[in-house]
Amino acid sequence: MKKILLSGAALLVASTMAFAAPVKVGVSIANFDDTFLTYMMDGMKAYAKANPDAVELTFTDAKEDMAKQLDQVENFIVQKMDAIIVVPVDTSATAPMTKNILAKNIKAVYVNRNPGNLPDGAYYVGSEEIVAGRLQMEFLGEKLGGKGNVAILMGKLDNEGALKRTAGNEEVQKNKYPGIKILDKQTGQWQRNEGLAKTEDWLNRFGKDLKAILANNDDMALGAIQALKDKKRTDVIVLGVDATPDALTSVSKGELAATVFQDAAGQGGGGVEVAVKAVKGEKVPKENWIPFKLVTPENLAQFKK
Amino acid sequence: MNGKENIKQFFGKYGIYLVLVVMVIIMSFLSPVFLSQDNLLNVVRQVSVIGVISLGVTLVIISKGIDLSSGSTLALCAVMAASFGQAGDWAAKMYPSLPELPVIVPILVALGVGTLVGMVNGLLVAKTGIPAFIATLGTYVSVRGLALLYSDGRPVSTLTASYQFIGQGYVFGVPVPVILFFMLALITWVVLNHTKFGKNIYAIGGNIVAAEVSGVNVGRNLVKIYMYAGMLAGVAGLMLSARLNTGQPGMGVAYELDAIAATTIGGTSHSGGIGTIQGAVVGALILGVLNNGLNLLGVSAYWQQIIKGAIIVTAVVIDMRKNAKKK
Repeated sequence: MKKILLSGAALLVASTMAFAAPVKVGVSIANFDDTFLTYMMDGMKAYAKANPDAVELTFTDAKEDMAKQLDQVENFIVQKMDAIIVVPVDTSATAPMTKNILAKNIKAVYVNRNPGNLPDGAYYVGSEEIVAGRLQMEFLGEKLGGKGNVAILMGKLDNEGALKRTAGNEEVQKNKYPGIKILDKQTGQWQRNEGLAKTEDWLNRFGKDLKAILANNDDMALGAIQALKDKKRTDVIVLGVDATPDALTSVSKGELAATVFQDAAGQGGGGVEVAVKAVKGEKVPKENWIPFKLVTPENLAQFKK
Repeated sequence: MNGKENIKQFFGKYGIYLVLVVMVIIMSFLSPVFLSQDNLLNVVRQVSVIGVISLGVTLVIISKGIDLSSGSTLALCAVMAASFGQAGDWAAKMYPSLPELPVIVPILVALGVGTLVGMVNGLLVAKTGIPAFIATLGTYVSVRGLALLYSDGRPVSTLTASYQFIGQGYVFGVPVPVILFFMLALITWVVLNHTKFGKNIYAIGGNIVAAEVSGVNVGRNLVKIYMYAGMLAGVAGLMLSARLNTGQPGMGVAYELDAIAATTIGGTSHSGGIGTIQGAVVGALILGVLNNGLNLLGVSAYWQQIIKGAIIVTAVVIDMRKNAKKK
């Protein structure tokens, strides 16, 4: 009985302490230049604004450099943050980072890119990348009636998002739509101009054989649409991922056939929420999934803000 | 002089042109669509942005400098110009109360901002005496930060029709970016070969002390060189944002390296005083044919990067041997 009382008291003390001072969270973002990650930061800031006394965020930009990110995390540890949120540059190099953070009794929360290995005290918030690829190919397979040629615009080749989304495309194509042929896969580096250039070359190389382009993100898809406009081709179906404002406008104009909504703000806000809860000692699952949703002209309205 | 030496000289002088011709011939055999008018226009349009940057970079490298800030400058000019060129009916405008402005406004913004960044580069190089590599490395970082700050990290999209024309339009069947590239190449060629400013650039790069002694105002000319390069980066930002209907702060990453590669492949020497505009144009075209060719052939994305790097180094090795022989 005494023991229970004591632990109860300790809990009370701990929770009042947590309420007294806002939870300090350091955030290392893989790249500020990335549009999607900007919207994710918006989600984090929105959560902090809605709960002003609960959390205090500090942002740093890792500029796609793993070593820089490691340094930033070390700095956060020295600054005695309560939790550290990391959008990792490279998921395969997160193990030492996790170890260092947990060794100082700080909570580690990975967002958007899953490191896979999550010891106690480490969490993940994100969407299952492969699902986005599956949703694209499911939609396309139906649209093409199970027949036709497609090319895939991949993101940066060392990014999990690029590899998993493409794997999702290929998985559905192989298992459900063997009549669809993948003509080529090239990287558009997540960039609109690269997506444009690759598509221009494909249109010359494949001509009328090319029936669809699956892009790992919206910016590359919008580049592909630009190339199609130049060639006055309206018969090629283009799909993206992210549902950025530009992409939603394109869907409403009937240019982009569909995109997949990855909830950037939901991931960002969810990441901060998990960090705060974990610091306060609430029970949080290790992996927290924010679902992907297919955006078509029919359900467009609910995604436009 | 015997025939053998003549041939050697011919290859030395026109080697880089031959590389381009040989690449075109090989590609036309490997891919049936390569020589189609559509594809050739594609190639030139694809290189026009890098090409315009490389014109300015050529002047800088001839003066024995370097400009690492071009890609960042392009991005800053793109987002700033785009913010003054958004279509009136677009809901998410950066300045919602701004009416639809004539295209001359974003053009002036891009040229002005580019020139300004170039002036900062030039003043840093000329007045502080720090190496151009360090000065422009500084602006490379800061200017990208400015682009992010100005746009709040967001794309500035949906531009007016006349703005988009700069990147997407055609005049007599020729894409506007291609016309701009060749026009600017011609202008830069005249500047370099037929003005006092051009002669000064070669003089400064060849021997800075001798130039100074013979009465060239080195400082002022250096500032002018970097201003010109910055302005062209601004034009490139205008072209790219018009082509893509968006200005983005993350645009043009590593474009300065492509432009330096094009210039270097084209025979401009990093030891200063040697280089031509026609070389930069050919260098840009070689990079374009290479990119386009590897795509048409369906070479795997991994191999493309390896092959590109190897070809850049090979071209420069050939060129250096030529210059070494001259000396």
